[in-house]
Amino acid sequence: MADQGQSPDIVTLTINGRQVTAPKGTMLVDAAKAVDIEIPIFCYEPRLGPPVGACRMCLVEVEGMRGLQTACSTPVADDMVVQTESEVAKDAQDGVLELLLANHPLDCPVCDKGGECPLQDRTFRFGPGETRTLEPKLHFPKPLDLSPLVALDRERCIACYRCVRFSQDVAEDGQLTFQERGDHTEIATFSGDPYEGRFTGNTIDLCPVGALTSNPYRFVSRPWDIKNTPSVCAGCSMGCNLEVTERDNEVKRLTGRPDPNMAVEEGWICDRGRWGYPALRSADRIPHAVLVDQVGRRGVLLERALAEVAGMLINRDLRIGVLLGDPVTVETGFLAQELAERVGDGRAMVRRTGIPGHGLGPLRALPGAQMDELDAADVVLVVGGDPASQQPVAELRIRKARRHGARVSMVGPRPSALDDACEVLRTTPGHLVDAIDVMRDRLLGSSRAVVLWDEADLAAEPAAAAALAELVAATPGARALEMCADVSGPGLRALGIPAAGGLLQAIEAGHIDVLVTIACDPTAGPEGTRWATALEGVGTIIEMGAYVSGLTDRATVVLPLLTPLEEEGVLVSMAGRAQRLRPGARECEGAAAAWELLVALTHRLGRAVPDRTPSQAFSRLAQRHSAFAGLDYGALGTEGAVIAPVEATGADAGTAPAQPAGDGLLVVPCRPVFGDADAFRSDALEPVREPARVCLAPAEAERLGVRTDARVHVRTPHGEMVLPLEVGSRYHEGAAYLVMGDPGTAAERLLPMDGGAVRAVVGVAARQEVSA
Amino acid sequence: MTVHELDEFLAPLRPQYADPRSLILPALKHVQEETGWLPPDAMATVAEATGFSQAYVESIATFYDRLYVEPVGRRVINVCVTLSCMLRGSDEIFEHIADYLGLDGEGTTDDGMFTLHKVQCIGACDRAPCLQVDAGEQIGPLEPADATCLIDDLRDEPAPARYCR
Ligand code: SF4
Ligand code: SF4
Ligand code: FES
Ligand code: FES
Repeated sequence: MADQGQSPDIVTLTINGRQVTAPKGTMLVDAAKAVDIEIPIFCYEPRLGPPVGACRMCLVEVEGMRGLQTACSTPVADDMVVQTESEVAKDAQDGVLELLLANHPLDCPVCDKGGECPLQDRTFRFGPGETRTLEPKLHFPKPLDLSPLVALDRERCIACYRCVRFSQDVAEDGQLTFQERGDHTEIATFSGDPYEGRFTGNTIDLCPVGALTSNPYRFVSRPWDIKNTPSVCAGCSMGCNLEVTERDNEVKRLTGRPDPNMAVEEGWICDRGRWGYPALRSADRIPHAVLVDQVGRRGVLLERALAEVAGMLINRDLRIGVLLGDPVTVETGFLAQELAERVGDGRAMVRRTGIPGHGLGPLRALPGAQMDELDAADVVLVVGGDPASQQPVAELRIRKARRHGARVSMVGPRPSALDDACEVLRTTPGHLVDAIDVMRDRLLGSSRAVVLWDEADLAAEPAAAAALAELVAATPGARALEMCADVSGPGLRALGIPAAGGLLQAIEAGHIDVLVTIACDPTAGPEGTRWATALEGVGTIIEMGAYVSGLTDRATVVLPLLTPLEEEGVLVSMAGRAQRLRPGARECEGAAAAWELLVALTHRLGRAVPDRTPSQAFSRLAQRHSAFAGLDYGALGTEGAVIAPVEATGADAGTAPAQPAGDGLLVVPCRPVFGDADAFRSDALEPVREPARVCLAPAEAERLGVRTDARVHVRTPHGEMVLPLEVGSRYHEGAAYLVMGDPGTAAERLLPMDGGAVRAVVGVAARQEVSA
Repeated sequence: MTVHELDEFLAPLRPQYADPRSLILPALKHVQEETGWLPPDAMATVAEATGFSQAYVESIATFYDRLYVEPVGRRVINVCVTLSCMLRGSDEIFEHIADYLGLDGEGTTDDGMFTLHKVQCIGACDRAPCLQVDAGEQIGPLEPADATCLIDDLRDEPAPARYCR
């Protein structure tokens, strides 16, 4: 019952003749494990809540108690005498396994779980060597698609309840249950509907047998052919820890960590994180360096391309802009800064994409919370955003906080999958500040509140940001947790790298001759149309990227990058936790990590480069940047380390516009991770992708004269485009919910770079626009 | 049946149960008495009236043999196949009835008149082998010939007004 809070009392008992001490409330199975005595289990999993004793695998003998006890649900007590290996206990464990196998098909040779299967392992260690069953076994047609991504093989299920508990008690989607009874028991959804959700893959990790397997991983590999590497998901700012399975230099699978980071994701990952990896092999991956010169446009070796770039950087007449995108590691940010210094004469400027965050300083200066602090919170307040779609695993932690007794409220303009789990105060778009006022008493009366606030929404409403910061600061014991819009933001801000506004102005003023982009295409981002025009005046574009972008055809030099699943480095999560990426595979032979390219360039500019690894770069940046003071890869360990807050610097300070720009409906930007670029690159995620669209309230659609199935024309001061329309009563009148998604559409272009609020004119699309 | 009608039926029961989950079973039984079986939309109605998920309601409905999640005939014949009855030849009784009804094992006759099911012990082992028609008395001990007579009798009997199963 690790998550139920323990009394400090210590209990002494005897297990297999050894004296053991354990905190009161510990279950026998954990007390035994602490002294390296293994009691076999299947259903026990404290992350799913209190034990249910479903599988009977953990039977042990306790002196003075009648019959055998389930070690997973028997708490330790003083003077208890426990035998886990007595004849009686062993006989019972053997017997349970024999019965579990009575109808089990034993098709291990064709089972994906074979070789990493707890049922196999425990049968070998604790079970019967041979079967005595002569009767025919039960057979079901196999496998069944529980969802497009999860396959169910009913013959293999041992009815341990883990997947059902995950669905009922963790994701709280209520979809998975048992049907029928006895040996006909099977996992099912209501009338065979597909299991829908954003976390379905976790049931695969939980299943102790091969009953639930991943469709995309089906028959792909065997445990002895693979290498597993712990790393971090770069799908959103949550920074979930995960494990990368590699075979033949390809990422074949991503799973939750068997040793979860309890302060971050608790072992859960969302389906976007889990099945985003096929993106690495998508057709738009840039396979090798490209150079455009007198000869024309051609593929070249990386070395050759780098020499070309170095030649430009060295030219004292050229002014250089470096734009860092998302996701990039802190080492990349730091080495880009160093490269700019090396270029010298103030000729180079380094900027990042993402929200400048004028006015977010006071919120960022508040005492920060880690995700696990939600478990003990009395009040949880979500201000703006929608963690359920933008930082999915945060949803699971918020639901858990509620189960632990926190009063959870969510204020903001967006409908959310979390609505059923909290008190919802749906605000009129642009009026977060009123909601904060409503929450004042609730918050002031709390003692361990955690306030999650959305970077994008509060950046767009500086008054709300100021009010919220003041309120949280006035609440004793309250902590704040930022829900960041991008993955690189927290790390790059800690290095003092400002947002890109100044760079765009410099380009427009004709002060930039060479633009180096690293993992970004500003023409597809906020004010993309303005960027596209501005870039016409830039002589040379050097693109470092993993995937073809709108810049690729224009770039003079294209340098192929490795992705976060393939590179080493550090990402800082939204909770300020610096965590290490470890290369899980290297899918693209011709590509290099951004840090490697930057080191190589700095070297060519005449510097004896001290960094040969990201680890060295990180140690050096920790010496130079106070946020990372005292950290190195050793200190980050397996759990990561929380960095110190930093003040906003230079271009990110100042005030954001108080009034929305433009006319029409206020835009509510939505950035679901299931609609991001990798979700669209990964064929596995096809069934669950979120398309780009505009969402309107029915009354609004009527007023504008647009029909549900229509496409609409949307215009903001920053651009216009035609998008599909969704009409739903979940949406507020007076607002246009702009769902980014579908990178081809690049709906972000309609938004301002300053992160301020914006209005959009929505109308019927002209016929030729629709067909285009 | 509408959610409202079901609510009215459940209202007097609500105070009787400490755990609202206990309402699901009477609700399912009530719906089945009215409609003969439990199609998905009926289970959805029960889910709405009791406040539990559809999946949970279905998991309860499938747990019990006597709640039918597939259509059944006007009369349901349940032949016990547990130990006592089996030792006294209930498999023969079952086969005999199946043959007589023109069924290949469990199932419903084409005319929608009879459904034949195997069930576990119906609590009349002293009368093994036995069977039960709808929710009526257990009938046994049976010879195969008795069973077919029974079927003929049932055919002549007027069908009950409500489905008491
Ligand atoms: S499918 Fe797997 S996790 Fe679910 S009950 Fe069966 S064995 Fe357990
Ligand atoms: S919540 Fe975010 S970080 Fe976690 S697995 Fe999903 S996309 Fe990755
Ligand atoms: S692990 Fe104890 S009953 Fe399943
Ligand atoms: S075994 Fe048939 S009634 Fe008991």
